[in-house]
Amino acid sequence: MLFNDFCYAWKEALKGLYRNRWLSLASIGVVVVTLLMLGLFMLVSLNINFITTSVKDQVEIVVYVADDATAAEREELHALLSKNEALDEVRFVSRAEALQRLKAQLGNLLEGYDLDAENPLPDSYEIQTSLPEAVPEVAQELEGYPAVESVYYGRGVVENLFTVTNALQWVGLFLMIGLAITAVFLIAHTIRLTVYLRGREITIMKYVGATNWFIRWPFVLEGLILGFWGAILPLAALYFIYGAAVDWVVSNNLLFLNLLPVEGAMLELAKYLLPLGIGLGILGSAFSMGRFLRV
Amino acid sequence: MIEAVQLAKRYDKNQPYVLKDVNFKVERGEFVFIVGQSGAGKSTLLKLLIREILPTSGTLKIFGQDLRLMPERRGPYLRRNIGMVFQDFRLLEERTAYENVAFAMQVTGAVAQEIARRVPAVLEMVGLGDKLEARVCDLSGGEQQRIGLARAIVNRPSLILADEPTGNLDPDTSMEIINLLRNINIRGTTVLVATHDREIVDRMQKRVIHLEHGQIAGDQKKGVYARAF
Repeated sequence: MLFNDFCYAWKEALKGLYRNRWLSLASIGVVVVTLLMLGLFMLVSLNINFITTSVKDQVEIVVYVADDATAAEREELHALLSKNEALDEVRFVSRAEALQRLKAQLGNLLEGYDLDAENPLPDSYEIQTSLPEAVPEVAQELEGYPAVESVYYGRGVVENLFTVTNALQWVGLFLMIGLAITAVFLIAHTIRLTVYLRGREITIMKYVGATNWFIRWPFVLEGLILGFWGAILPLAALYFIYGAAVDWVVSNNLLFLNLLPVEGAMLELAKYLLPLGIGLGILGSAFSMGRFLRV
Repeated sequence: MIEAVQLAKRYDKNQPYVLKDVNFKVERGEFVFIVGQSGAGKSTLLKLLIREILPTSGTLKIFGQDLRLMPERRGPYLRRNIGMVFQDFRLLEERTAYENVAFAMQVTGAVAQEIARRVPAVLEMVGLGDKLEARVCDLSGGEQQRIGLARAIVNRPSLILADEPTGNLDPDTSMEIINLLRNINIRGTTVLVATHDREIVDRMQKRVIHLEHGQIAGDQKKGVYARAF
């Protein structure tokens, strides 16, 4: 493309947007609304993922060591745990340390009990697995180790958590695909309307000897501009909405809702919404023109 | 300039031929009327000439090139050498006279200075020198067709094709438009006018090709519409 034609295409694209400003606004509106919905849903879904992974990371196995275990047995247990590749992090908690924690947690409630004299707590290991989903299986394996009194991992709760997060991920995926398809249809139709309204112009261009690409470029650029703004506006809106949501969570001390940081979430969203908006705009205009070029 | 040999066209296999067994030649610098009633095949012939449609059989050569053998992508370059004038003007109504003519030059990649120099000159030539900035929708039919003519000649084509150029105009305005076409012809451009305006054809005393039911029913050097029947 010659520089001359390039300038012409940009100028025509901007003029075209201005001449059909109401339709341009309508097209941007459609892109904005659909991408806003898509973005909102993506944010929710990203956060569900984020929260469930952090919850999953907190799932740990506690192995209680039998009080009557011999030193040799204890050593063997320690060796076995250190060797096991399914385990990510193995931390020994002595009964003294466990007591310290209990005191810290319960504080005054323990007044009157002389726990130092006769510590009722056993030695234990706190274990994180490399794959949270494998916790129940690993726990069962650890029960068979020597010197193990019992193994605790939140049986039942963990299984339920995984079922729920799996289901949420699938539902989220389907909803997002559905929304994306809806967005494609809406945008393609809006742009087709733009092109249809300018069919006369395109036909005349053909008659005076314009090549197909010469005709197509301004429309493609228009699509690009529409798609760009159609993606930027919802991103800006989501930035404020999400920022407010995070502030609200923090100010209400709902810290168990461990939300993604605003900037990170927005970058992640922009990675999808910008190319999607621009791509939709360009493809929409390029394809919608097809039938007018056959003159 | 134009050569049709055994030219035939039908739009669909199950439909009758719109043009059949058409043979004619147009030399450089000629002024030719194509006459005939609606449905005689005039418009189809013009569409074939700008390669909007392709012949079903036979050959149609223009500027020495066989249109059936011409690659698709050459189509736009062919049209830059042909000026088209339409019955319904086909102008961009929301734009000015200047913009409509400049449009045809921009399409060919002409540089801005050249456009700014030539467009006013061409509009002056068709008598609209004082209406450069007038919007098309504010102008009369005759003025609009003058813009159409200006647009057709601005790229200095060697051939002008006019499809019923006076169909929407009153008799006086029609004569003015035809006279403009004749002036363009005198400067060396070949002009082909499809029309059923009997009065104009008879007054001009130019070559007349008469189409009837898709076939050539007459081809006279200094013909009149009436005698063709």
